[in-house]
Amino acid sequence: MSFTPYDWNQSIQTRTEYIEERLRDGSPVVGISIPDGILMVSVHRAERKVYEIYDRLVFGAVGNQSDIETVRNASIDFAHREGFQRSPDDVTAHRLVGSVLSPALKKAFGDPFNAPFVFRGLFAELGERQETDLFFALGFDGEFKRETRYSVAAGSLEAENRMIDLLHSSVDQAKDRTSAVRLALEAWATGKIHARRRGGFGSKARDEEEEEVEILTAAHVLREEIAEGTVEAGLLERNTPREIKFRLLRADELQPVLAEYR
Amino acid sequence: MRPGDFSELIGGLSGEGGRVLDAPVSHSERAAELDTHGTTVIAVKYRDGVLNVGDRRATANMAVMFDRAEKVLPLDDFTLIAISGSFARAVEIVRYLKHSFRYYARRELQEMSLDGKVSEVSRAIANNLPMALQGIGAFIPIVSAYDPRTNEGRIFFYDGMGARFETAEFGAAGSGSERIRGAFDYIIRTKKPFREMSLDEALQECLILLDIAADLDAATGGFAKVLPVAKAITRDGIVDIPAEQMRDIVAGIHPREDAGLARPVA
Repeated sequence: MSFTPYDWNQSIQTRTEYIEERLRDGSPVVGISIPDGILMVSVHRAERKVYEIYDRLVFGAVGNQSDIETVRNASIDFAHREGFQRSPDDVTAHRLVGSVLSPALKKAFGDPFNAPFVFRGLFAELGERQETDLFFALGFDGEFKRETRYSVAAGSLEAENRMIDLLHSSVDQAKDRTSAVRLALEAWATGKIHARRRGGFGSKARDEEEEEVEILTAAHVLREEIAEGTVEAGLLERNTPREIKFRLLRADELQPVLAEYR
Repeated sequence: MRPGDFSELIGGLSGEGGRVLDAPVSHSERAAELDTHGTTVIAVKYRDGVLNVGDRRATANMAVMFDRAEKVLPLDDFTLIAISGSFARAVEIVRYLKHSFRYYARRELQEMSLDGKVSEVSRAIANNLPMALQGIGAFIPIVSAYDPRTNEGRIFFYDGMGARFETAEFGAAGSGSERIRGAFDYIIRTKKPFREMSLDEALQECLILLDIAADLDAATGGFAKVLPVAKAITRDGIVDIPAEQMRDIVAGIHPREDAGLARPVA
């Protein structure tokens, strides 16, 4: 028995369907760059979603928890080995995603005899100034894109696009931590809604009425999810005297936003 | 496989994977000339935590290599290391320790315990022993930390083989430290324990001690030319003592020339 190009195509297609089906229900992750630093927000039921990778790198993902762990650990390993043997300045998201993770994911995805990664991840790198903050969105097939200002990882591409639309039109409102958490949660809820509605709406043009309904729905989803889950907001702080720039925002810092949904 | 173990990641604490080296070198008279040494560092427990003060001099044999060496370094937000001895090894091991603590915390999603941290320092010193026995690369640190469990500052000092001792009041290391060791006890007995002192009081005593060490030890820099480095750890983390604050205290310390210690015998 031999493995033909046809089999390969077939396997890629089946794998893609399998992965996307399993990603769909994942809780999205939203990254926003603000003057204070980089904020990465999600809502979790069980495991943590936002992780510190290195001094200036933060990571969040949707997918199979053990796949997320594999990518997280590989990232931490690379960053620390490189940071120690060379310098922390040489540990960049670009090197991590482009040289280490992307090729490995691509290989796992294309290899029909191994389990592919059920994974869509977001890496953010804190710059000296807000203009130099960077995001890298990485897919299960190794494809990655570099973004600035904001980025997301969600259960479906449709959901990601809707979230990006919202962030694109509203990111200027996110000037401080509170307003950024508020916007991130709205984007998160948008992603959650659209991942559920498989196939999306069909029509690209949305009238104002529909927009309003969506916001209502987003608030509804948030109320529901905040009651049952935990909002997680990781901040990589730009100007801090502390050695460790990363921290999770405390409950009292999230309170002003969460109160709106309680 | 020890999860979260950084030394394993880099191929062993002294493995080829890391830059940490322990390949035995044959003993050479010239070795000491290559090895730059940091000299006197002091740690005392004061009212709100631990204060670390270090002079700025680094010497290689008789040469002053550098007069602005930083010998009090943060390992993380609640741990300071004050280094004496071989500068090259100490700085490398500080880099190792920082990565090691953080690697563990990031991988395991929990902080390494204080006990785990001070043991890791022991391990690094023990691993350095083959080099130290060749006559170069020996270094002795003092580790200070704020213990969130007991809500107090803690000070650990080490011997050359990595044995760890916890001290109740103070610790000192480096070439100048032997000269001033008794003075700590004198202060505690005649003035008051360091742990009852305010930051300024403790800082003043430490600066005077450093000045005495500089007088008695050629390798110690004191405060006359370049201000020492001083950092404190409290429940809120590490505080850099500003130069202003030190300058004010230094200005209040009586100059030593007035003491008129010794006159040449005519």
